[in-house]
Formats: sequence, structure tokens, C-alpha cells
Amino acid sequence: MPDRTQQSYLGKVALIAWREFRHTALTKGFIIGAVAVPILMFGVFAVVPSLMSRESPPLVGSIAIIDPTGSIAPRAKAILEKPVSMLEVVEEFAENPPQSAAEQMEAVSTLPSAGQQKIEVAWRTETDPAALDAIKSDLETGKLIAGASIGADTLDPSKPAAPFEFFIPSSLSPKHVTQISRAIRKAIEEERVARSGVDSALIARLSDAPEPKTMRVSPEGAVAKEITELRFMVPVAFMFLLWITVFTSANYLLTTTIEEKSNKVMEVLLAAASPMQLLVGKILGYAAISAVMLVMYGGLGIAGLSAAAMLDLVPFTHLLYLVLFFVMGYLMVAAMMSAVGSAVSDLREAQSLVGPVMMVLIVPVMLWLPIVENPNGMLATVTSYIPPATPFVMIMRLTAATEPIPLWQTITATLWGFVCAIGMMWIAARIFRVGVLMQGKPPSPKELFRWAFVR
Amino acid sequence: MTPSTPAAFQPHPAQRFPSPTSRPAVLLESVDKRFGSVHAVKGISLEIAERSLCGFLGPNGAGKSTTIRMIMSIIAPDAGRAEVMGSSALAMKDRIGYLPEERGLYRKMKVGEFVGYMARLKGVPAAGLARRIDDWLERLELPGVAKRRCEELSKGQQQKIQLLASIIHEPDLLILDEPFSGLDPLNGRLVLELIRSEQARGATIIFSTHQMHTAEALCDKVILINKGEKVLDASLAELRARYDDRGLVCEPLGGAEEFATNALRTGLASHARTHDNGTVDLDLAPGRSATDAMRAALDLAPMRSVGLRRMNLDDLFVELVGGADAAQKKGAKIDA
Repeated sequence: MPDRTQQSYLGKVALIAWREFRHTALTKGFIIGAVAVPILMFGVFAVVPSLMSRESPPLVGSIAIIDPTGSIAPRAKAILEKPVSMLEVVEEFAENPPQSAAEQMEAVSTLPSAGQQKIEVAWRTETDPAALDAIKSDLETGKLIAGASIGADTLDPSKPAAPFEFFIPSSLSPKHVTQISRAIRKAIEEERVARSGVDSALIARLSDAPEPKTMRVSPEGAVAKEITELRFMVPVAFMFLLWITVFTSANYLLTTTIEEKSNKVMEVLLAAASPMQLLVGKILGYAAISAVMLVMYGGLGIAGLSAAAMLDLVPFTHLLYLVLFFVMGYLMVAAMMSAVGSAVSDLREAQSLVGPVMMVLIVPVMLWLPIVENPNGMLATVTSYIPPATPFVMIMRLTAATEPIPLWQTITATLWGFVCAIGMMWIAARIFRVGVLMQGKPPSPKELFRWAFVR
Repeated sequence: MTPSTPAAFQPHPAQRFPSPTSRPAVLLESVDKRFGSVHAVKGISLEIAERSLCGFLGPNGAGKSTTIRMIMSIIAPDAGRAEVMGSSALAMKDRIGYLPEERGLYRKMKVGEFVGYMARLKGVPAAGLARRIDDWLERLELPGVAKRRCEELSKGQQQKIQLLASIIHEPDLLILDEPFSGLDPLNGRLVLELIRSEQARGATIIFSTHQMHTAEALCDKVILINKGEKVLDASLAELRARYDDRGLVCEPLGGAEEFATNALRTGLASHARTHDNGTVDLDLAPGRSATDAMRAALDLAPMRSVGLRRMNLDDLFVELVGGADAAQKKGAKIDA
């Protein structure tokens, strides 16, 4: 007698799921794409700024300034040689945002200079305006790396600061131009303040606008420290985590289904398992892949927050919501991708069917700011009930927590989402059953409807 | 000369002629299938006995693959009933082996993994499976390919792997859709012997083919489908009884045309067909015995050879599928 037993229904589903998981998650492509790339990106963000800072070109040479008072050069020298913190640079950009593309480039090029940079500049002061020709000549011959002519009007505190002339050779890098001009401008500012007889330190102290220490008071009366930036980041991070893990996996589901059709292996599989077993097995297999990514990326995020002692930003309920809406989101997107994958013969055909659905799915990505700013607003409320955007919008609303979402909305949106997810799975199964054996031109929407509801 | 059958395919003497049981392995009752405006299968009924070897014949687009898919419950009939081993094919999937017309395998998967996966899906226990696969690969003259990716194999090798995936679980019913297409003569013979050994093991086998001589050599029974309808359903023995002895093949030393005319004139034959190679086919006139007819033919003209015409599936296929026009194309037909 043949050495075999009857394979159970769930046994077949498990075998199919394991094959999909094994041949996707345990491949070089997946490991590189899903594991190594985020780690590499993290490494790039952590290491590259430091490398760029070390790569900042040294500022070496002589600068001549025509200044009747002779005070600007020493002040500029001190300012230039004083280490500038990244924060100061950022604040300056915030106060004087770059207006043109060229200014933006200049601003960006200055950023890494905060930190280590070799600066060896000899400053020369000329009091006679007639020295300007000699300065220009020295710039041409390379004896000077920059020159400036500052008039008495510029330094007169009783008048608005008149522009000063700034000369550079064509070979000077934009980064160095920004550094030197900034030092001279700051020196002029200090000199004008000093000439006015006011204590510049006092001015700095008085003009320093204090940062608010925001405390959020909940309706229950609890008071908690507000960290505005992170309050925005947490819901967005949750939404993107959900989006990326669900879509990566569902995309695998789409491409492997198409591949099985084009390789003609589908009919071989259908001789061993029913379409439903095949569909459920595939969906479970890719759900496991999605879950691995969710745990991996989410774990990295939580580890980061833990290291920064900010774990209180992610209460346990947020993680429960994440799991709940991950299941909902995955079922919805997987249903669509498996249905489309079974109905078409190649990826190009799939794009045209997936396109309209993607328009809805892109909504939470495009509208994250207004949704997070006002989780109880009309926009957030309405989009919560539009599948397949529901899980992605709801996770943002629930984790934004600027104000509690009415309980009835949480319950109805969640129930509605799961009803839609189950309905979409049912339709996907009906389409899958017919579509997997179809070859040739992709079905029209009318045919898809017929597959789903008529046959 | 016929090459010796590989030892692996030699059935046990006790299994060589398995006795069929009364329950049909496959039963179709008025099965009907439409794809949009195309009526692919028109109310086909058939019955295939257990342990028999049945040839499923028909021209391209006749509805063979659709009928096979309905037997497999891969697609559902619009009307009628399909039963496999007394039940639905869905419930019997693990007892059926199937090689579809359009071959498919996971190109990136290793051969051993692919066959193992299909075997596990069909209920073969994991224990000892790798050994079983290696043994089978040896039998199929593919030793050492278990660790290679499917895409690295030649087309013929891939086809043998697909065939192996359909029989690794020792099915009770084996359905092979065009198992010989794309195979060279040596591999064709290997597959032919494999089919024989599977039948000897006790499996019921249905295979579709365009190779009539293969069907003649292998089958107990043939079913011919044309334009979605069954046009022939008979055992080879029945076909021979029906069509043998009803004609002569004569090779006169003189002119073939003259001999054919004389055969018709003397009432020896009702129809005669001459061929380019100088032979003449005679359809015997009603009431004429074959023995008398042979004597009469020898009296008509000196002969290089004269013999009874054997039933030929190729001719039968052309006649049933293509009708009289197609039959005439095979030779100049002269009516009495």
C-alpha cells in the first residue's frame, strides 16, 4: 500500500503558508531588503553627518578689511574661530530662512561645519579706503581669500546699517563664503551695539525669548509634560510602520501570485489543494512575514525610545491598537492584492487594477498632518470610515491623543473596518477561485464583478 | 528492437494484470461547461473503470483539458455530475496524481524541495521522503539533481520532474495531460514504461495525447472528444472487432488504379483508395468474408502483398474528427 496519509485541510494550509514564508523571508533578497536596508539607513543617518563634518575643508588664508575703526577684524576673528553648535546654525536658518535655491544650497553646505574644522585665518585691517585696489589685486593673485570694505555709515548705530562691500575670489567655496560673511556681519552687529553704549550681553539676555514649558491638562485633570515634536511623530511613526509592513508583504503576495500564474504552477497546486486552502495559506504565510517586520521595526523603535527614556510616549494600549489595526489593514490589503494577482497575468496589468485602490490608501499618508493635528476633526472622522484607509487613519487618531476620540467612534470604526475586511476577503476568495485559472487579457471591472457576485 | 524496460518499472508478476473492480474510477454524467459564448463541453457522459488505462483523444481545442479539469474539480461544471472513486475529486485530491497540459513548477525552488512540497501536500509523511525522492530521481535517470534549482534543468528534465511530482504519492488515479509532448524518443519511452508500471501497481490512468500510436500501444480504452462532444468511447478490443477484417491492404504488381477499378467492378469492394506508395485499401463489400476477398484479390492481379487491414487509430481519428473530407485527403478514394 502507498506510504501516505490523508493531508488535513489545515495541514495543507500550514504547508502552503510555511512555503510562502520560507521562500520569501529566508531569502537573500528579503534579508537585504527588509532587514539590512533599515539598518543601513540607520547607519547612514548616524555616521554620514560625522563623516561629512570631518570632511569639511579647512579655512586657511588671509582676509583684509577696510574699517575706519579697526575693531571689526578682531571681533570677526573671534566669531569665526568660536565653535558653532548645530543648534545655533539651525536657529539662524530658522530666523533667516533661505529665500532662493542658491541660498538653500549655501545653508545646507554650512550645516556640517558645526564641529571640527581647521580654521587658520590671518586678519588684516586697513583704515584707508584707497587700499581697496590693493586688496582686489591681492585677491586676484591669491594672497587674500576675502576682502571687505565697511563704511562709517555701516557702523553708525544712529542709522540703519548700510550694506558693506564683500570681495571674494572665484575659487572660494560657497561654504567658506558663508562662514566669512557671517562672521563679519556678526562683528558689525556687535560693534554697532557696543557703539550705542548698550551692554551687548544685556541685549542678548533681554532678546532671548524663553521656551514654553508646555503642560497638557487632560479632561480628568491630570497634568503631563508636553513634547510637541514627539507628539506629532508617534502617530505618524505608527501609521508608517503599519503601512510599510502591510504593503511590503501584500506586494510579495501580489507578485508571487502573478508568478505562480505565469509559471503555470497554479494548476499543479490546485490539483493538490483547493483555491481556498491556497489563498488562506498564502495570506497566512505573508501575514507571518508582515508580523516579523512589524516586530522587528517596532522593536527597534521601542528600543530607541527606551534608550532615550521616552517609553511613556508609547503606552501599552497603543501597541494593542497597532496589533488590532495591523490585522485589519493586512486583511484588507492582502485581499485586494491576492484578488488582483489572481486576475492578471503580469505586473503591468496589475498596476492598472491596483491604481484606484492606491489612491484611497495614499490618503492617510498625504493627510497625516491635519489628521494628527485634529484627530476629532471632520476630515479624520470621515476618512476613518473609508476602507481601506480605516486602519491607517484610526491608528493615527488613537495615538495622536491630543484629545480622546469618542468611544462610539472607536468601536464603530473598528467594527466597520473588520466587517469591510471580511467582506473584502470574501470577494477576493471568489475572484481568486476563478482568476487563478484564467489566462489572456485582464478582466474588465464588469467581469470581476461577475466573478465575485454571479458565478 | 525494443529497449529493455528499466528494472524499476518492472511490475511485480502478481500486479502485472490487475483485475478491474466494478466501481468506476471516474464517472461523468451529462457534464456541461461554457466559457462565455464558447460551449467547451457539451453534455459528456463517460465511465472509466478502476485500474484501466484510458486514452483521452481529440484535436486541439476539443475540450479534453476542460473535461480533465472538471474531473479534477479544478473547475466546476455548469451542469451534470463528476465523480471520482465514488466521491467528489475535492475529497479525493490526495489519491489523484495530475500532470496538467501546461507544465508548471517553481523555477527558483530546488528540485528535491519542489517534489517534497507536492508530496507533503498529497499526504506523504516527511519521514523517509528525501530518500524516496532520491530513489525516484535515480529511476528517472536524473540522479543528483535534487539540490539543483528547477530552472537549471532542461525542458525534458523539468517535464520528468513534473511527472514525478504527480506520482510521488502513488496515486490511485493518475491523470496525465499530454505526458509525451516535448520529450525526445528515449525519454518518451521512459515515460511510457513509467505509465505501464503505474498501471501495474494498480493505478487507474487517464492520459490525453495526440500520438495515436502511443494510445494504441498503451490503452485499454479510448475516448475521443471533438468540439466538446464525445464521438467515440470504446475499448481497443471493441474497436478492433468493429474495424478489423473489414478491409484489405493490397499491393498489386501492376497498376494500382486498374486494380482498384477491377475490385469495385467485380463487387469485391464497396470502396477503394489508392495511395502514392502503390498500395490500395479496399473496404469489403457487405457479405464478403475476409478470406474470400483475399482469394478474389489474388485472382484479379499478381500481388506483391495482400493482407487484412488492421484497425488504425490514426485513421479512425481522422475519419471521426475530420469526416470524409479528411479521410479522402489520405488517398484517392474510388466509390463503387
